[in-house]
Amino acid sequence: MPTNKFLLDTSRCIRCTGCEAACKQFNEVPKGIRRLRVVTINEGVPGETNVPMPCMHCTKPPCLSACPVTAIYKRDDGVVLVNKDKCIGCGYCLYACPFGAPQFPDTGLFGSKGKMDKCTFCVEPFNQKDEDGQLIQREAKPRCAAFCGTKGLLAGDIDAITEVYKKRIAGKLPTGAVPDVA
Amino acid sequence: MNNAITGIKTTRRSFIKGAVALGAAAALGGYAGLTKYSPTNLFVTARAAAAGEEKLVKTICPHCSVGCGTLGKVVDGVFVGQEAWTDNPLNLGGMCSKGATIKDIVVSEKRLKYPMEKVDGAWKRISWDGAINKITGKMNEIKEKYGPDSVMFLGSAKTTLHEVYLQRKFAAFWGTNNVDHQARICHSTTVAGLLNTWGHGAQTDNYNDLRHSKCLFFIGSNAAEAHPVAMQHVLIAKERGAKIVVADPRFTRTASKADLYIRFRPGTDIPFILSICNVIVNNKWHDKAFIEAKTHGFDEFWEVCKDYTPEMAEDITWVPADKVRELARIFKENGPMAILWSMGGTQHSVGSQNIRSYAILQLLLGYIGKSGGGCAALRGHDNVQGSTDMGCLAHYLPGYLGVNSEPAWKMWCNIWGIPYDDMIKRFASKDLMLRNGMTDSRWYEGALRDDINQPNRIKMLIVWGHSLNSISQMKKEKKGLEELEMIVNIDPRATMASSLPERKDGIIILPAATVMEKEGMVVNSGRSAQWRYKVIDPLFESKSDLDILKLMADKLGFGQNFTYSSVDDIYTKEICRGVRSIGMMGRTPERIRKHMENSGTFDPENLMARGGPNDGEYYGLPWPCWDEKHPGTPILWDDSKPVSKGGHDFRALWGDKVPDNKYKTHVGESMLKAVGGKKMYANAAGVGYALDLTGEAVQLALAAGDPPTGRGRARFWTWDLTDPVPKHREPIESPRPDLITKYPTYEDKDKTFYRVPCEFKTAQNPELVKKYPIILTTGRQVEHMGGGAQTRGSKILVEIQPDMYVEINPSLAGNIGVKEGEMVWVESNQGKVKVKAKITERVNEKTVFMPYHWAGVFEGESYENRYPEGTAEYALGDSCNIVTAPGYDEITAMQETKVGLCKVYKAQGG
Repeated sequence: MPTNKFLLDTSRCIRCTGCEAACKQFNEVPKGIRRLRVVTINEGVPGETNVPMPCMHCTKPPCLSACPVTAIYKRDDGVVLVNKDKCIGCGYCLYACPFGAPQFPDTGLFGSKGKMDKCTFCVEPFNQKDEDGQLIQREAKPRCAAFCGTKGLLAGDIDAITEVYKKRIAGKLPTGAVPDVA
Repeated sequence: MNNAITGIKTTRRSFIKGAVALGAAAALGGYAGLTKYSPTNLFVTARAAAAGEEKLVKTICPHCSVGCGTLGKVVDGVFVGQEAWTDNPLNLGGMCSKGATIKDIVVSEKRLKYPMEKVDGAWKRISWDGAINKITGKMNEIKEKYGPDSVMFLGSAKTTLHEVYLQRKFAAFWGTNNVDHQARICHSTTVAGLLNTWGHGAQTDNYNDLRHSKCLFFIGSNAAEAHPVAMQHVLIAKERGAKIVVADPRFTRTASKADLYIRFRPGTDIPFILSICNVIVNNKWHDKAFIEAKTHGFDEFWEVCKDYTPEMAEDITWVPADKVRELARIFKENGPMAILWSMGGTQHSVGSQNIRSYAILQLLLGYIGKSGGGCAALRGHDNVQGSTDMGCLAHYLPGYLGVNSEPAWKMWCNIWGIPYDDMIKRFASKDLMLRNGMTDSRWYEGALRDDINQPNRIKMLIVWGHSLNSISQMKKEKKGLEELEMIVNIDPRATMASSLPERKDGIIILPAATVMEKEGMVVNSGRSAQWRYKVIDPLFESKSDLDILKLMADKLGFGQNFTYSSVDDIYTKEICRGVRSIGMMGRTPERIRKHMENSGTFDPENLMARGGPNDGEYYGLPWPCWDEKHPGTPILWDDSKPVSKGGHDFRALWGDKVPDNKYKTHVGESMLKAVGGKKMYANAAGVGYALDLTGEAVQLALAAGDPPTGRGRARFWTWDLTDPVPKHREPIESPRPDLITKYPTYEDKDKTFYRVPCEFKTAQNPELVKKYPIILTTGRQVEHMGGGAQTRGSKILVEIQPDMYVEINPSLAGNIGVKEGEMVWVESNQGKVKVKAKITERVNEKTVFMPYHWAGVFEGESYENRYPEGTAEYALGDSCNIVTAPGYDEITAMQETKVGLCKVYKAQGG
């Protein structure tokens, strides 16, 4: 069983926002919800760095531990998902998450927060069920990474993406130097 | 028409079904009202999706010139999404935000749905027949009253290759050279600068070859936003040790990836580059062997360059002398180096000479014509290289053949099947047929003034895929639109052509299909062609440009010249036969489609196929591709390999000897390469290869192992231009009155300058800086494209980038008392715009920056009510081209939108 992860090679990110756009189109994510957002620090000055921030699908997800209704679960392939039938929209997961991944739609009469939505590794679209009420479960293949313009955002089995990144690092090193990544 | 499409991969994966179902469920409500206009449903239901077959169609992004491939996902004829085309060698599946939302852009409720006419101030739906009858009727009426030159055509770099070719042909059959398109305001100065230096005006390398550069020098290019996927190759080069240098008035996102960033004053490229050249020559770092063997005029160049010391240039450019010395050393030590530029280099009154200076730097170092050592003119649109090649321009016929050349007209008349004398009769006179037409950058002058070089003013404008808010002097343009008798706007979107003018009638809109709804070739900046398969049928009542051209040609009586048995016919019978000057002969649709089908066999390192049916060929057969066996030429001027393997050499465009010239010097010196020099080839009858329809000249050359363009010398010194060597001239709007005196612009031009007089010296006012002390420059946002009508019509892109803004340095913001997000006026001599303040260190305290994709607000007033109902984009904004400067390039009439003067102040209630 593979263990799915993201790897964010910030030296390659140019903030073209292709990842954000591909995610929104593929997952039919409504306005206001960002399953992934490119964050820029030091904008406009030397050291400017862009970091695409999806859910990191943590090995020990703090959101999962924090959820009071056990709506959040982790699959064997490493993908962390939320059962929207169970979610009560309390927002405690957002409080626990180090990356701000959980998103809440602004819905309801009093602008109350709706059920939590977040990056699903493209397994589930925003509306988890089709018109027959069946839960949609697609291939774990993030479109943000597939469409990444500079191949800076890597996604997939951790062993496979580590190999890609190792080769990339080797290119940056002087000839003969041994990459030390894993 | 050729509807059978090969190369479609059909797959079936169950996980897709759910996504399709959701699309239907989520969106049907919102779109239900539209389907009645549509021959095709916009969405499929879950059940239809389950029963239907999913197709993945290879198509090409319709935005910038990288040429990224993507797979359009289609279920039951409905465009439902995109997948990554991972083995397209240009992008390996990568897309920026614009390219990743092609589906969202195409399947948009904001699109035009049926022909419309403005009557008594209201938009009225009309039939296609009625619309075509009205348009052609009016055209004939104007021809009768004022002559054919009173109709002006603006064609498009955003349509397919054969359609833009037919737009040019259409203007010829109508009888005018008043036809132009975006290439004028995009890279016309690149063409003039490079062509005058070494014979062709295109990017010499390709995006993938950037991987082999040891240094990448960006000057006037913010590729990270304007050509995002090009950065994939740039950053790979960086990982391999290449130095990245960015020279730009702004600290751009591209600059954030640089090893060295240089901030220089807008409009001072020439003194900056010449000061680098000065250091190189003084250190004897120039490639003397290369210069002696392959170039001409070095001494004349040095006569000018020797005065441009780093210290002398510093006062003009803001660049410290020691930085110039550091740069020269970096360029010498990290060869081959590639120079990359876009509109930052081209959109200047000295644009052509800016580009000449870049080319000269590459000649000096001997880097040109080598892998990794290109002059990378990053073109703006998906097909703008193709549309330039097709000559949809006021001064060209297809293939860069001047309209003032009778032999060129004769050759094209031959291909078009019309006697030359009959063609002359279609024009008001032979004289007007051989005279440059009006440019898109200044078309409105033709509608507003009488001192023009044609019988009557422009009375009718046909805007066929062109954003008018990307043209400068928009206030004059608006007035021009209001003076016309009729405006025709042919576009998938309701653009400014129909919403800018204040008028109650005389506007007809035709809904054009998007490029996803038809097939054809598209040529990227690296001269590689790709085939765009048709993803879906045209939505609503929209029609392809090809069909619209045919409808109009039929009504105007030359339909028989626009009748083809298939799309392929247009290429094989006309384009490949006639566009010989740049070697289009071998680039047949069949060969290109084969490349699409076998895209995975092409190596992203050098674009060459390894094994498979295209073994040894270069992806997309980059021109010149001399015959059907030729593999294409990936790098221009590369004489290290045989011509049959894609080798090349400097074009012997100026004959074998320097001709008599106004300076009476160097006459008779050799213009052929020192060893193996050859003149351009001609056939036995003496007809040059570019006009020789027998193909004999080309075959003679290939048999001799030479390019048909010969083996000549590149020019440091251009005896036939106003400035034979680039020299500094201040921008039309300059903040330095002292430097205007010292380095004034050109003399004013009379009406022989593309039919309209043009002020240079008269427009350059040293007093202007007192009233408008801040430098204004413009550029792109990554989420939007061109005039922005398509991308601002995407909900996704508008959510990611919702704002028009002006970038202001914190110091300037402090001085004028403006905070982040407040509304400000940016005002110039031309007009003013009301935009949001974005406070950032990207610009310095002397400069402000605005993106140019915005429209729908004019000097603070919303024009939303001028759009046909429901077609205004999701986000509107004031247009920076209301404010930009009134300067023009001295050779091509390129607009000077990258440097002007303005003032910025807080808006009331802002």
